[in-house]
Amino acid sequence: MGNTGSNRGRRRNHPSNHSNTGEQINGVTTQSLQESLPQLENSAGNRYVFAAATPYPPPLPPPPPPPQPPQYPNNISPPQYYHYSGHYPPPQSMPTPLPAPFLNHHSQHNNFHHPPHHLNWGGGVRYPAAPMPSVAPTPYIEHQKAVTIRNDVNLKKETLRVDPDDENPGMFLVGFTFDATVAGSISVMFFAKEGFDCNLTATKENLIQPITVSFKEGLGQKFRQPPGTGINFSAFEEIQLVKVGESEVYPLAVKADASCCSENESSGGGDGQKKVGSRNSQITQAIMEKKESGEYHVRVVKQILWVNGVRYELQEIYGIGNSIDNDCEDGTDQGKECVICLSEPRDTTVLPCRHMCMCSECANVLRLQTNRCPICRQPVERLLEIKVNNHDDKPEEHQNSTPESSINE
Amino acid sequence: MANSNLPRRIIKETQRLLSEPAPGISASPSEDNMRYFNVMVLGPTQSPYEGGVFKLELFLPEEYPMAAPKVRFLTKIYHPNIDKLGRICLDILKDKWSPALQIRTVLLSIQALLSAPNPDDPLSENIAKHWKANEVEAVETAKEWTRLYASGA
Repeated sequence: MGNTGSNRGRRRNHPSNHSNTGEQINGVTTQSLQESLPQLENSAGNRYVFAAATPYPPPLPPPPPPPQPPQYPNNISPPQYYHYSGHYPPPQSMPTPLPAPFLNHHSQHNNFHHPPHHLNWGGGVRYPAAPMPSVAPTPYIEHQKAVTIRNDVNLKKETLRVDPDDENPGMFLVGFTFDATVAGSISVMFFAKEGFDCNLTATKENLIQPITVSFKEGLGQKFRQPPGTGINFSAFEEIQLVKVGESEVYPLAVKADASCCSENESSGGGDGQKKVGSRNSQITQAIMEKKESGEYHVRVVKQILWVNGVRYELQEIYGIGNSIDNDCEDGTDQGKECVICLSEPRDTTVLPCRHMCMCSECANVLRLQTNRCPICRQPVERLLEIKVNNHDDKPEEHQNSTPESSINE
Repeated sequence: MANSNLPRRIIKETQRLLSEPAPGISASPSEDNMRYFNVMVLGPTQSPYEGGVFKLELFLPEEYPMAAPKVRFLTKIYHPNIDKLGRICLDILKDKWSPALQIRTVLLSIQALLSAPNPDDPLSENIAKHWKANEVEAVETAKEWTRLYASGA
């Protein structure tokens, strides 16, 4: 375990990163991995999070874009073009997409072993040989490979709640379950605004104070804020509680800081990564929902991860848990296999809908045929390949100096 | 020979169709063409087709699963979305096809179509007109046709 990608720590200042802000989708991670990865080398249950970085909304002005030839429309210098989504031509090595590559086989079927009425099939409209791409030619769909980062502390978002403070009627305390592989601290803040570099600011500090509690390492820890430090909902207007306020002020935010991170092996890039105390933090932002009973419930809106100065938004990937539970060789485990070939394990996620449903090979075939997700039919913007059990993905990192980060492996 | 080089997907689907058939549906591949399936679908309960056994044929084109299977009723059926040649008007067989769908899901969708005829998107104009003008009578005709043509003989 160590930092192999520390050269990426300052990547948000990289010009290409900024060129990406306009269309960068949110980071993609999964949070459901921990239980599923006991076989990975660290049995202490370190979390692996798959992420594509979201560049922070820039307080820094973007550096000037590199000079660009006119044929690349996306502010991207040619050597990097394959990293970003957009409708530029595919790399040379890719075959030109054919709208209906199998058309010429069609007549064979009709002559082959089956009854002549097949000739009539197609109801008024002839069946096309293959679904026609809705845009012709099929736009090149970016295919990225994921790299792995580690999150030392994780609030399990489905456990976040508010409970009445028995000692202080009318007050409510925030509670949740979390995993931590190192010691650290948790801050609970109401009406919090996220600032740069994982700083949270309480915008109503005069009315309700943030609190910070330290914790030791351990999995499945229960957190409850100390009595008396909670929130009295009646002191605030409902509208302030149930919505994200102006300038992204969240009614509730919880920040979990890993007090130290495993910097002992910052061998990766050797470009002098700073050893700052807290390099690994998670922010959970939530709003309240008022139930018919009048009680408030917490609903998590967003989770953000800061690792070595890079900001990620955590998003779940649908179907990833199935794909990595274990290797199934017998193929009877439906739900782990690629929905197209029904054979290979799933390793490719469709973005932006986040359906992990295909193997990379089928994904490559699919993108020549259609730009729709097989599961939800949403347009595919990008494909993200996630090899969970592949520890030798360094070569891939080299071809992919993308905003993704590999902090640990 | 059409059976050589059969994709694993088709082999797996076939195995699963045979080992765990969906209720009221059977599909078995033809011996000489593993892409051609003989299908039987039972008419859903509480539909005009209840009690009927409907034969269909299903063919997996070369592009499958990137293209939809071709399915056709062989048994005569009185249904606004099925024409006299047995062709079926069902979006997942056309523009809404997704490679995540399978033979099983297609047949389940067809079975569901029997439970929920949609005369607003007809393939068979006359039947659809009938359905909209006098549904009770049209349902009676559908029951009659089920008795006549789909009694499983």
